[in-house]
Amino acid sequence: MPEMLSLSNDPILFLSLMLAKILAVFIVVILIVAYATYAERKIIGRMQTRLGPTMTGPLGLLQPIADGLKLFFKEDIIPAQSSKLAFLLAPMMILVPAFITVAVIPFGGDVVIKGFAVPLQITDLNIGILYILAMAGLGVYGIVLAGWASNSKYSLLGGIRSAAQVISYELAAGLAIIAVFMLSGTLSLRGIVAAQSGSVLDWYIFSQPLAFCLFVITSLAEINRTPFDLPEAETELVSGFCTEYSSMKYALFFMAEYANMIVVSAITATLFLGGPAGPFAGPINLLLKVFFFMFLFIWIRATFPRVRYDQLMFMGWKVFLPLALLNIVITGAVVVFL
Amino acid sequence: MAKKETMTINMGPQHPSTHGVLQLVLELDGETVVNAVPHIGFLHRGVEKLAENRSYHRALPLTDRLDYLAPMSNNLGYVLTVEKLLGITDQIPERAKVVRVMMAELTRIKSHLVWLATHALDIGAMTVFLYCFREREQIMDMYEKLSGARMTSNYFRVGGLSLDLPEGFVDDVTSFIDDMPGHLDTYEGLLTGNKIWQKRTVGVAPISAEDAIDIGLTGPALRGSGVDWDLRRDNPYSGYEDYDFEVITRDGCDTFDRYKNRLDEMRESCKIIRQAVDKLQPGPILADVPDVCLPPKKDVVNSIEGLIHQFKIITEGFKPEPGEVYQGVEAPKGELGYYMISDGSANPFRMKIRPPSFVNLQALPKMVEGKLLADVIAAIGTLDIVLGEIDR
Amino acid sequence: MIKELIQGLSITAKHLLPGNSTTVEYPKQRLETSERFRGLHHLVLEHDREKCVACYLCPTVCPAKCITIEAGEDKNGKKYPTVYQIDMLRCIFCGYCVEACPLEAIEMTGEYELANYKREDFCFTKERLLK
Repeated sequence: MPEMLSLSNDPILFLSLMLAKILAVFIVVILIVAYATYAERKIIGRMQTRLGPTMTGPLGLLQPIADGLKLFFKEDIIPAQSSKLAFLLAPMMILVPAFITVAVIPFGGDVVIKGFAVPLQITDLNIGILYILAMAGLGVYGIVLAGWASNSKYSLLGGIRSAAQVISYELAAGLAIIAVFMLSGTLSLRGIVAAQSGSVLDWYIFSQPLAFCLFVITSLAEINRTPFDLPEAETELVSGFCTEYSSMKYALFFMAEYANMIVVSAITATLFLGGPAGPFAGPINLLLKVFFFMFLFIWIRATFPRVRYDQLMFMGWKVFLPLALLNIVITGAVVVFL
Repeated sequence: MAKKETMTINMGPQHPSTHGVLQLVLELDGETVVNAVPHIGFLHRGVEKLAENRSYHRALPLTDRLDYLAPMSNNLGYVLTVEKLLGITDQIPERAKVVRVMMAELTRIKSHLVWLATHALDIGAMTVFLYCFREREQIMDMYEKLSGARMTSNYFRVGGLSLDLPEGFVDDVTSFIDDMPGHLDTYEGLLTGNKIWQKRTVGVAPISAEDAIDIGLTGPALRGSGVDWDLRRDNPYSGYEDYDFEVITRDGCDTFDRYKNRLDEMRESCKIIRQAVDKLQPGPILADVPDVCLPPKKDVVNSIEGLIHQFKIITEGFKPEPGEVYQGVEAPKGELGYYMISDGSANPFRMKIRPPSFVNLQALPKMVEGKLLADVIAAIGTLDIVLGEIDR
Repeated sequence: MIKELIQGLSITAKHLLPGNSTTVEYPKQRLETSERFRGLHHLVLEHDREKCVACYLCPTVCPAKCITIEAGEDKNGKKYPTVYQIDMLRCIFCGYCVEACPLEAIEMTGEYELANYKREDFCFTKERLLK
């Protein structure tokens, strides 16, 4: 067993590899974000008997780039009555947590380079899950801030909705995960993946189906996707918290939405589907699982209506929270007595 | 205790789901609606006044632009009123009557499809929107084939129809009504059983039967409150008494029942269209009233009498006896009524339109007070308003 | 409850299969307009000149008052329109002019792409209508 590469045994190699990993992950995430918009438009288009983008490049493949360029060159409008600093800060505050969450997600086993074992993970925090929850909680500040700073009533309503929504759903999501690390005995994502590394049946989706369902549904609510897209409910609040945003700042919100989708898919895959385990190379397995969840989210968006604010709160507090607690009790009983 | 403040929010006239240029001034306490005041008039074109300066023939295209989702129903109401004013209601040929019923029912389906599409979209189910528009497109194609225009059909004429059915039109209609129940099942598959849809519609935007009658609600909105009233059956026109159909009534008084009502109405419309297709016999399409109806084109081109006749009607128009009439039709959105006064000249002295959407909109404040913001959207959708008709 | 949700998902999934698209890729593909389509007007030619005899029925019946005619006589004493102009910005394409014409001298074509840049370009003169 080769020694684990660390800052103390070969600092230069460690730093350069770290940089390489960060860059690779960043580029992959950005690429997926760009083409997730394309995929969403294509898939929903097909489901709605349309074609989706076709004109820009072959099969419309250059559409995300065209969209990006368009947004980049559009006039950047800051409403006169807005709180300028907060208005500028909000889109960054929502995008950054989305991106840095990816740091703790393992995308493969160890590889041996120059006699050292290098984990395919940017960093393995021993409190990985707490870190994820913390970042998810941070993301909502961006939305609330955007809603407040715009000084527009629709934006404000969107921001308030978002705050209420995230508080009620984060709780259920967090409690759903607790059952997972009751089984794994660790908060480190690497440890959780290792605990599922046996056969397919060791994946926590089979031992924790309830937690899995709860986590997927509450994640949907956390990343504001249909049927829980209340903060930006187009037909009610025009565009919710991002009503007043335009140009690149709007693009940041847009990217954050998709980045969040990727993060949530990756977390779900890591926690419940064995992470990078599977028939192919580690990163490819993980990507396939991520794509599966993203397809599911898109599919749900094409099919379901939107729930109402009070119903959302009802579900969060009176259905999902008790279910998550029940799941913890059952898991605890099983862990202790069996 | 802190002072409780409400927030006033202007919903519309530029808002994705106020179905046009409706402005709603909402007073919100959090997300709860304290008070809702609809403001209308952004689409006012003065149709009633314009009609006073046009001959009866030339006022017809104006009616296309009232409820632009159901132009043929508007046309039908108008021509029936003028015919009543002229006293030639009995002389309308059978074929014209049957085609009118057929087209009016197709129009009902067309209008209800847009209603379902936008209603579902407002509540967040966006796929239904495109499915409905796919079917609506087929009706638009039929419109185009029949009258030459996809929306502003301008097809009926005082005394009958402007043109006979084109070749293959009946086959199009038959194949459409054969497929339509299947499509309706698809929409229902996406919505009716869906728990989220039910949560968003059951018990939402309630209006009791009493209130509905007091306000003057008509159409599916009234029948969703359990009032069994349909002009096609209770005050038949254009030969509706000869058709066998059910008036769909539910007494849930809520958005869900109005939704189910309209879907079932589309199924009933398919039945009526099928009966109309069976009834269709060759024959004249214009009444034999030379003072009112234009002569056939071939007479105009070939004979001097026809030519003079054409000139006389177009330049002078026709002059009904002084008097006044009211005729209501069951348009897709409710009772569409025309009240017309003639002073013996070639132009209407006064044309008053009773648009169903205008009257139905009055129910909105009652439906949404004390409810949530999201219910306002559902209420606007369930009332099925069209601003072209409200503002006239 | 779950059954209905899955039913909904299966409906959208079914439409994802190829062959369900109803999109017409305008402007690469165009829809055929029907024979009766009420598009741009066209003045019918007869013996290399317009069939119209400037009888003024179409401007009389036009609800939008968009047709301007000035009548004149040629050297054989036959009436013809020296000016025949349709303002497409006012026209509502109701088809009354075609219905009224006693000579079938005006008809409507399937031409529907009438957007333009300048106000003057919407003024269709006799020469343009005869094309």
